[in-house]
Amino acid sequence: MRQIFLWYPIFFREMLLFRRKLLRLGYLFSAMIVPIIYLIAFGLGLGRSVKIQGTDYLTFLIPGLVAMSSMNNSYTWVASALNLNRLYFKTFQVFIQAPISPSSIMIGEVLAGMVKGLFASVLIIIVGFLIPSGFSITPLFVMTLLLNCFLFSNLGVITGMLAKSHEDTATYSNFFIMPMAFFSGTFFPVDKIPDFIKPVIYLMPLTHTNIVIRKAALDTEGLISFAVLIIYSIAFFMYGSKLIKNYTE
Amino acid sequence: MIEAIGLTKHYGQITAVDNLSLAIARGEVFGLLGPNGAGKTTTIKMLTTLSRPDSGTCMIDGFNVVEEPFEIKKRIGVVPQENNLDRELTARENLLIYGMLHGVRDMEKKMAETLKIVDLWDRRDSVVLSFSGGMQRRLLLARALLTEPFVLFLDEPSIGLDPQIRRQMWDIVRKTKIDGRTVVLTTHYIEEAEALCDKVGILSRGRLIALDSPENLKAIVGEYVVEFVNGDGKLIQNVCKTRDDAHEIAKQRGDGVTIRRSNLEDVFIKLTGERIETGEPVE
Repeated sequence: MRQIFLWYPIFFREMLLFRRKLLRLGYLFSAMIVPIIYLIAFGLGLGRSVKIQGTDYLTFLIPGLVAMSSMNNSYTWVASALNLNRLYFKTFQVFIQAPISPSSIMIGEVLAGMVKGLFASVLIIIVGFLIPSGFSITPLFVMTLLLNCFLFSNLGVITGMLAKSHEDTATYSNFFIMPMAFFSGTFFPVDKIPDFIKPVIYLMPLTHTNIVIRKAALDTEGLISFAVLIIYSIAFFMYGSKLIKNYTE
Repeated sequence: MIEAIGLTKHYGQITAVDNLSLAIARGEVFGLLGPNGAGKTTTIKMLTTLSRPDSGTCMIDGFNVVEEPFEIKKRIGVVPQENNLDRELTARENLLIYGMLHGVRDMEKKMAETLKIVDLWDRRDSVVLSFSGGMQRRLLLARALLTEPFVLFLDEPSIGLDPQIRRQMWDIVRKTKIDGRTVVLTTHYIEEAEALCDKVGILSRGRLIALDSPENLKAIVGEYVVEFVNGDGKLIQNVCKTRDDAHEIAKQRGDGVTIRRSNLEDVFIKLTGERIETGEPVE
């Protein structure tokens, strides 16, 4: 029975550290700054006179920014912290030497990553409600947001485990996260992208998050994207758990 | 309590531990003595499930370290060489998380007991970042003792500590032995090995080259050492079996000769031709 809850100390530790970070103004600022710059530059500047999919640009953009922000924060904080804890601070070794299962470590890290991703998303959502737009939240929006945080926290664990140095995590980010932020439908619909690139675009999980998060209800397209997100999440979770299980120095 | 047979670990072309076999009895304080890079930390990592051996087996309390790591983890406490405390958390928070990971019951009582043992009770709510190096080592020890492990592993427990704090650490380790625990420690301090260990294994370049009690190991080389500086300014050491032999040599040399009891450094020099702490060859 105890095994089921053994993710909790890992999660609890991350939350204690997160609470300390929150007390520093710099953390809040860094979580918000990038999406807010995009919101001002693209939404309030460039997008003022643009209409996309029959709605004003801000109504299109804000859910995309929430998805992007949840991806960035879930992924980056987990990847970076896990990598540093494994290679420099060696606190990860305390988990490995504790009588808990690799999946407990995985769940604890991922849930903590989700909290960080959701925290950053909530900040963007608040800003989204403060500026005039047709942005609204549906149950599907919330479910997609949670799934997106889960998925990218899992990917964060994988990067944190694979990266051979802290600089390496930035390389992974430049290759996978950065292109996703710009080409997965955050700032413009993916149907505007040339056909020959589209297969790559549809391989990117964030593309599917952006499809589902903007829907009021699940249609066929949404259902397929939702299924893709679930498949990615399960695959990433299993691979991350395997990396932890096979960890050796 | 611990039985290792043929443990071997390679890192690329380098053999960090080469065919190491040893047996440690319950309640014993066992020391692995050797210079930096001898394979001490790799050995500890293999015994504590952190590193998988390339070959060989190891049993702790009847459980196989590779095949039953979960059972091993329930029975051991580890003080690693690197400080792997959460520096931004308090001493209490560090112990709390560790205790939760290991399913410690009656946590508040245990935390109070261990923090008092290492004399950090008054600083329990201070952030680890504000601790000195010695305090952090003591907190690491408290954390390892929190679970009341059957076997306590200490990897260079007093590295970088000043002599006074080092002796405090030794007192705690002695107390741990009195409580009936098996202690396995690595060190490159001769004094530490002699002060604490019932049995010492000497490691050199990944190989266990001697294993016995400090007294028996010293008996290999002789009980007394005559030291003098020769005409080239080099320190010459002659090891003698008896005090009379030592006095005889001293008489022949005349002034500037000292006689002292042999130590484990002399054993190491005899076996490897090098000094433990520096790895320099000795003539």
